[in-house]
Parts: sequence; structure tokens; C-alpha cells
Amino acid sequence: MFCNKFLLPRGLTPISQILPANLQKRTTFILKRKWQEPLRKKGYGRRDLRAKNFVYDLVEDTLVKKQKNLSVTLTQYVESVGGQGEVISAKPNAAYNKLILPGYAKYTDAQQTTEKKDIDYAEHSSPFAQRTINMLNRITLGVVMNKDVPWVLEPWHIRVSLRKVGFYCDDSCITLPSTPIKGPDLDIENKDFYVTITINNKEKTELKCRIHHWSTDPSNRLPYVFEHWKQESEPLNIPSDQV
Amino acid sequence: MAACTPQGPNLLSGFKRLTRFDTGLGAQLPEAYKKFWREWKIQQPTAVHYIPKEGRWERDPVTGEVRAIQNTPLPLIFPPESDDGIWGGEGIIKGFQKRHPQKRRVPHFWVPVLRRSVVFSAILNQHMSVTVTDRAINLIHDNRGLDHYLLKTPACDLRSTLALGIKRKLLQALQEGCPALNDSPTKQKAVYSEYSKYLEQYTPEEVEWYGLTFLEAIKKIQAKIREESKVSPHKIEFRSKLIEELKKANIKAVGSGEEGEGGLDDTSNIQATSSWFSKVNPFGKKQET
Repeated sequence: MFCNKFLLPRGLTPISQILPANLQKRTTFILKRKWQEPLRKKGYGRRDLRAKNFVYDLVEDTLVKKQKNLSVTLTQYVESVGGQGEVISAKPNAAYNKLILPGYAKYTDAQQTTEKKDIDYAEHSSPFAQRTINMLNRITLGVVMNKDVPWVLEPWHIRVSLRKVGFYCDDSCITLPSTPIKGPDLDIENKDFYVTITINNKEKTELKCRIHHWSTDPSNRLPYVFEHWKQESEPLNIPSDQV
Repeated sequence: MAACTPQGPNLLSGFKRLTRFDTGLGAQLPEAYKKFWREWKIQQPTAVHYIPKEGRWERDPVTGEVRAIQNTPLPLIFPPESDDGIWGGEGIIKGFQKRHPQKRRVPHFWVPVLRRSVVFSAILNQHMSVTVTDRAINLIHDNRGLDHYLLKTPACDLRSTLALGIKRKLLQALQEGCPALNDSPTKQKAVYSEYSKYLEQYTPEEVEWYGLTFLEAIKKIQAKIREESKVSPHKIEFRSKLIEELKKANIKAVGSGEEGEGGLDDTSNIQATSSWFSKVNPFGKKQET
């Protein structure tokens, strides 16, 4: 659901078992003589090789092989990666450039095992909560309501609208403004209001929503607005619940 | 006959070509440097570009012929640029490709893929931007850090003067107790206890001579020799001698002056003690020729 293009690629998984590092490694061209060199006599030095002894076949080019993940231990809380003491298995370049070199992590010991209770998230419910907050702050949620049948806005309306743009949550996470929003009312069409989203019963953030009226009858529908979230709009005149 | 050659009776056990450590200043280099040189240039490096065969004998799968296994390493080329990076033992291979059985072989160079990356040394507490290969970075990962990799790996596998220079600095920093971490003593202690085991393999003299190229070593020994036997100009030497002589003469004069006439500055005393001085006195009596 949340693809993170800011910090680490997908596939970050905490691992419980750390395998010892395999020291014999070749990341390069591995070649083989097409014609074997002549044998040298016992006690003598290298024999002069002929041109054909320098004809090589490529056995393997390890540069194009997929590299194994690198396991590192975080030394502090890193947003959308993990908490302090967590063992992370990531692609080697990402783990090296973004975690080890800035000093956020160190190489995992061969015998190291971390239990879940050892991990310190530094006043966050989870390393990914802040990322969810960032993504929720980025969007303007279109709440599509009926133009013909009377309604009062309820949490499940917001839940369904969130699900349409890829966020999944319970009704209990959503706190609506204290003043009920009723419709259909074309005065509130395309006007902003804020709901409060609670993540993991800890972090709270405001979500900007915008009412849009919709009719099942195509002739009765409002004209289509291209990329409505890019247009400026007025706030709905209701007192919003501040977080 | 053997006595007529520069090698003398050593020739009896076969002719040996003179090496760079047999003539000139090279002969004066200490054993500590020769040990490093053997580790760097003589020792067989790890097989990087080929897979060495195991065992002593192998049987041809088709003919059943038994053949000895002699792993001849592929000759590598190390251009001057390799000394400015950490290539992890990789080099350039010059050879041929046989692309078609009925076509002539084609010359080909297999060149390692280089990229610029950052490495971090905990002992020096420093990030460094260097040209590396993927193999070098993987080796750093496997050894859990640049410091462990450099200190564990023999010089023949590090190869480049940059890597050896950093290793030398690491050893020197360890000898001094990691002065780069003076600001945080707990970290300094932890780093020193982690890496000081590598220092046991070297004597202080070996650390002093580790990682130098032959030219650097020659310059170092030259400076050392000059320092030990300083040559001062004759002018200064003779002048000090003369002053000493004069002083001696004066002291004598003082001894004689106590008995009778004459002071310290009296030239007649000098004339009396050194006959040659009176001859060159321009104010003396003109001698008749």
C-alpha cells in the first residue's frame, strides 16, 4: 500500500536468523583458459606461455548477478525503517549508503539475535507511523456523497473514501468534526473540512477532505472537474476539532 | 672461476640475479621493509579472476589421462590509476576471445567496473571518497568495516598504494591510541580494544616501514642516513679549531701574566707562543729579503 520512494526500497524485513558471512567472494569477471597452459617441470619456474594460452572463456560475470541482502543493526530509530536495536535485512547498496555510512546502523554480529521487546521506537508506535502521517498530510480526500438522498456524514463515509485512494482503516480511527455535516447541500460542494485520523491509537493527524455531490442519474450530475485537489477552495464554516 | 664474479662463491649454488635489495641504497633497507615487500610483491595473492582447481591430480573426462594440477594465475595489469583506488585485488586482464571456432582470435581487455563511493574508517574517524569496485565494497561488508578489511588482508591482496597507505595510517593511529577520537574517550577505548589485536602482528619498526613504495623507502633511508652523519663545511670546523687554539694560547698567557707583565689582549703573548703568527703580522718589522 505505502510504497516508500524516500528512504529504502521495498523488501525490508526483520530477520531472526543471521547467517555467517561467506568470505570467499568474487564480484568480477571470472575467466578460464580455453587451452590449458603447458605443465612446468618440478623445481623449474614458469614456462613461457604461447599466445593461445591467453585465450580466455568467460565463466561468470558476477557483476550482473543478484546480490544477497546485507543485515545491519540499527543504532537509533530511523523513520520507516525500524527502531533502535532492530536487525534489518536490506539490499547491500541501500543498507550501506543510507544506514551504515550516515551512522544509523552497524554491521550485525554473527551471534546477535534481537527480540521484539528490545527494540526502541523512540515514542513512535511503529517506524512506519510517521510515513503514514506524511502521506495523509499530502492528500486532499474527495468525499463523494449523494446529490438526491438526504444524508449526514458518518465515519464510514470517510473510511470508504480513504479505501478508494488506498488507505485502509477502521471507523474507530476516524474522528469527525463535532458539528454534523448534512446534505445534500450544494453550498458545501467543493469545500474543505478536516477530520482527525488516529494511527495505532497513538499518533494523531488531520486529514483534509472535500465534499463532492454525485447523482446516479447522469443528466443530474455536476460537471467534471479535472484534478479538483489542485484547485483552491474555501473552508466549510464549521468549527474543526484541533488535534 | 667463481671468485671472479661479483657474487663470489655464491655462484656455485646457481646464478642469482641481483635484486633491488642487493645494490645501492636498497641494500641498506632494514629487514622490516623487506618483510613488507615480500608480503606485497612476492606472496601469492588470492585468486580473483579464476577458480583454482583443488587437489593435485585430475583425470581427463574423455581420455582418462591423468594430469597434474598446476594453477597458473592469470597475468593481471595494474595501471597507475589502480593505486588511487581500492580495487579489492581486481586488475585488468589482457587476452583474447575466441568468438567463433573458424575465426581468428580477437584481442580483448577485461576491465573491472569502477565507481566512486564513500568508505568510513572508525579508527581515523573519517569518511573518505574513493574509487572502488563492487568486490572491494563486498569485502568491506564481509569483514564488517573498512578497518577490519584493511588490517586483516595481506598487502598482496590490497595491492594499491592508497589502501596500503591507509593501512599504515591505521597502524600508526593504533600505536598512538586513536588520537582522532580524543573528544570521546569511551568510544576511543572501545575502538582501541576492538582493533588493537591487529597491532600485535607488527613490531614498531615494521609499522614504520609498512606500506611504503620502494622509492619512498629509499627516500626515507636516505634521509635517515643524512640525519645520522651530518656533514658540516670545513669553514666552520677550521674556525672552531682556530678559536680553540686561540683560547688555549690566551689561557697560557693568563698563566704567564700572573707572574709578570702582559694581559689577555696583549698580542705580544700570541707572538711569543705562535711563531707563525708573527710572520703574518702586517705591522711587524719588515723582513729583508
